[in-house]
Amino acid sequence: MKRKTRNKYLLYVVASVVAIIFIYPLYILFLVSFSPTRYTLDELFPSQLLSHITLANFISALTQYNFVAPMFKSLEVAFLVGALTLAVAIPAAYGLSKMNKRLANLIVVFLFMANLVPALVIAIPISAEFIKAGLFDSVIALALAQSLFTMPLATFIILGAFRAIPKDIENQARVDGMGVLRTLYTLLTPLAKAGIAVAFLLSWLTSWDEFTFAVILSPLKPTLPVIVYINITEGSLVQAAAFAAVISIPVIVLTVILQKYIKGVYLSGGLTG
Amino acid sequence: MKQKKVKIELKNLTKKFGNKVVLDNINLKIYEGELFAILGPSGTGKSTLLRVLVGIEDADSGSVIVDGKDVTDLPPNKRNIAMVFQSYALYPNMDVFGNIAFPLKIARMDKQEIEKKVNTAAKLLGISEILKSSINKISGGQKQRVALARALVRKPALFLLDEPFSNLDARVRFTAREELKKLRDNLGSTFIYVTHDQRETSNITTRVGVLNKGKFEQIDSFENLYNTPSTTWVADFIGNFPMSFISKSKDELIGFRPEWAVAGKGSMTAKLVTNELSGNINYWMCETKDGHMITLVGNMPLKVGTEIHFKLKKYNIYKNDTFVKQVNVK
Ligand SMILES: Nc1ncnc2c1ncn2[C@@H]1O[C@H](COP(=O)(O)OP(=O)(O)OP(=O)(O)O)[C@@H](O)[C@H]1O
Ligand SMILES: [Mg+2]
Repeated sequence: MKRKTRNKYLLYVVASVVAIIFIYPLYILFLVSFSPTRYTLDELFPSQLLSHITLANFISALTQYNFVAPMFKSLEVAFLVGALTLAVAIPAAYGLSKMNKRLANLIVVFLFMANLVPALVIAIPISAEFIKAGLFDSVIALALAQSLFTMPLATFIILGAFRAIPKDIENQARVDGMGVLRTLYTLLTPLAKAGIAVAFLLSWLTSWDEFTFAVILSPLKPTLPVIVYINITEGSLVQAAAFAAVISIPVIVLTVILQKYIKGVYLSGGLTG
Repeated sequence: MKQKKVKIELKNLTKKFGNKVVLDNINLKIYEGELFAILGPSGTGKSTLLRVLVGIEDADSGSVIVDGKDVTDLPPNKRNIAMVFQSYALYPNMDVFGNIAFPLKIARMDKQEIEKKVNTAAKLLGISEILKSSINKISGGQKQRVALARALVRKPALFLLDEPFSNLDARVRFTAREELKKLRDNLGSTFIYVTHDQRETSNITTRVGVLNKGKFEQIDSFENLYNTPSTTWVADFIGNFPMSFISKSKDELIGFRPEWAVAGKGSMTAKLVTNELSGNINYWMCETKDGHMITLVGNMPLKVGTEIHFKLKKYNIYKNDTFVKQVNVK
C-alpha cells in the first residue's frame, strides 16, 4: 500500500518534470509575444516572469500583415487534411486488420516509404500537375499533398485500434444482422474512436505547421507557417513570436477537446498486437 | 424423430485452414425443436463448425441448408441464425439494454416494439434489474444471460451456442443447463450447442454428436453413446471412466463399463493398481495379465497389488475398433 502511494508520487514528479521541459519554450514564446521588447529581446538577461503586459506586438503583427486570410486558409487545409486522411485511413486500416498480420505489417512499412522521400522531391513535380489542373494555390491541392504524409501514420494508428477490438464483437454484429460497411462505420469506428481521434489530431497538426508543400503549392495565398517564415526572415522577431503564439492557440484548443478520447492510446494504440 | 421437419442440413461440408483439414466431409441433419450437442476434445473443429454454419467462415466445399434453403453463399446477416459466442462478445460501448436491443435496432424495428421485446427477454432470463447497467459491471453469469437474451429477442431459424456455460462455476452451470432446456421447451426452437464437457450433454439434449478430428464418430442419444459406443474411441471418450477393454481374439476386443462387471467372484482376474473415489463410490483401477487397464466398482479401498476376481453381466464386442454387438450374460 505504502509502496504504491510512493510510486504514485514519483510518477507525478516525473510527469511534472517532463511537462515543464515541454511547456517551457511555449511559455517563453507567450512571454515574448505579450511583453514590450525592452523587457525581453533588448535585455541581456531578460526576466523569466511577466512584468509588463502589452498587446502591441499582436496589434502590429495582425494589422501590418494580412493575417485573417492565411489563418482561414490554414484552418481549411488542416481540417480537410484531417478529413481526407480519416476517409482513406479508416477503410485502409480495416482492410489491413482483416489480413494476415505479417503481410499487413509489411504493407504498413511500405506505406511509410512516402515519408522517407523529402517533401521537396514530391512537391515540385506535383505542383506542375496542379498548375495544369488549375488547382495551384487552392486549398484542395495543398490538402491532398499534405495527406500524402499523414495517411501512413494515421493508418498505422487506426490499424492498432481496430486490432485491439476482439474479433468476435465484429462477428457478433454480422450475426446480429449488420452488413460489412455498416459494421465498420456504426460499430467499429465508435469502438476505435480513441485511435481515430489521435490519428485526426496528428494529421491536423502536421498540416497546421507544414511548410514545404505550403510554400511551393500555395505561395500566393499562403498559410500561417509561411507568413511566420516571412516575418522571421524580415527580421521582426517579436511579431513572429506573436504570430507563433496565435498559431499555437488552435492546437491547444483542439488537443483539449480531443483529450477525453485519447487516454493513453497515443502510443499503445498503434503498438498493441 | 423421422417424421419431423429437418431444420438444418449439412452436406459434405469440408473446411481447411491452409493444409489442415478441420472439418472433414461432414453430413448431418438436425430436426426442428432439437437440443443438439456437439461434443469433442479441444481443437477438433467444434467452434469452426458453428462458424461455418453461421457464415463467419466460408466452407471449402459442401453446403449448409436451413429450412430447405441453401444458405452456403449467404453472409451471416442474411442467414437468420442467432449465435452466442464463447466470449459472449457483448458490445462494450452499450449498456445491457442496448446490447439486447441491438439486433432489433438493426432490423429497424419500431422503438416501442423493441422495448417490449427486450423487457420480455430480460424477464425470461431474470435480468430485468440490470438493464441499465454497463456491461463492465455485471458478473460472468449475467453476461451469459445478456448474450442469450440478445440471441432470443430475434426469431431466428436456429440458435447456436458455443460453450455457453464454460465461464460459469459448477453450481451455476447446473442450473443454467436446466434453464436452457426449459427455454427450448418454452420456445420450441432448435438449439445447437458446443461443449467439451460431457456432463453438460447427459440429461438435457435430444442427441449428441461426438466430433473427433473434424468427423462425427457417432451421433446418438447420450444413453446410447454410453451403452453402445460405435467405436473404441467413443467408448474411451464417453463416461466418467473410459470403457474397459480386454482382448478377445487378435482383432476383437471386449468392452465393458464398471457397473457391468461383478467383482469378487468369477474366472477373470486383475491386479489392483489404484483406488479411485468418484462421487462417493470407490473404483478399483486394475491391470489384467495381458496389460489392459480396467475399471471395476469396489465397495472399499483395497491394498495395491491385490488380485481381484471378476465376471461380466454385460459386454460389447468390438472388431477392428468398431462396435459389433452387445452381449447380455444370463
Ligand atoms: N482462423 C484460423 N486459422 C488457422 N487455424 C485455425 C483457425 N481457427 C481455428 N483453427 C484451427 O482449427 C482447429 C479447430 O479449431 P476450433 O476452434 O474449431 O476447435 P474447437 O473444437 O472449438 O476447440 P476448443 O474446444 O478448444 O474450443 C484448431 O486446430 C485450430 O488451431
Ligand atoms: Mg471452441
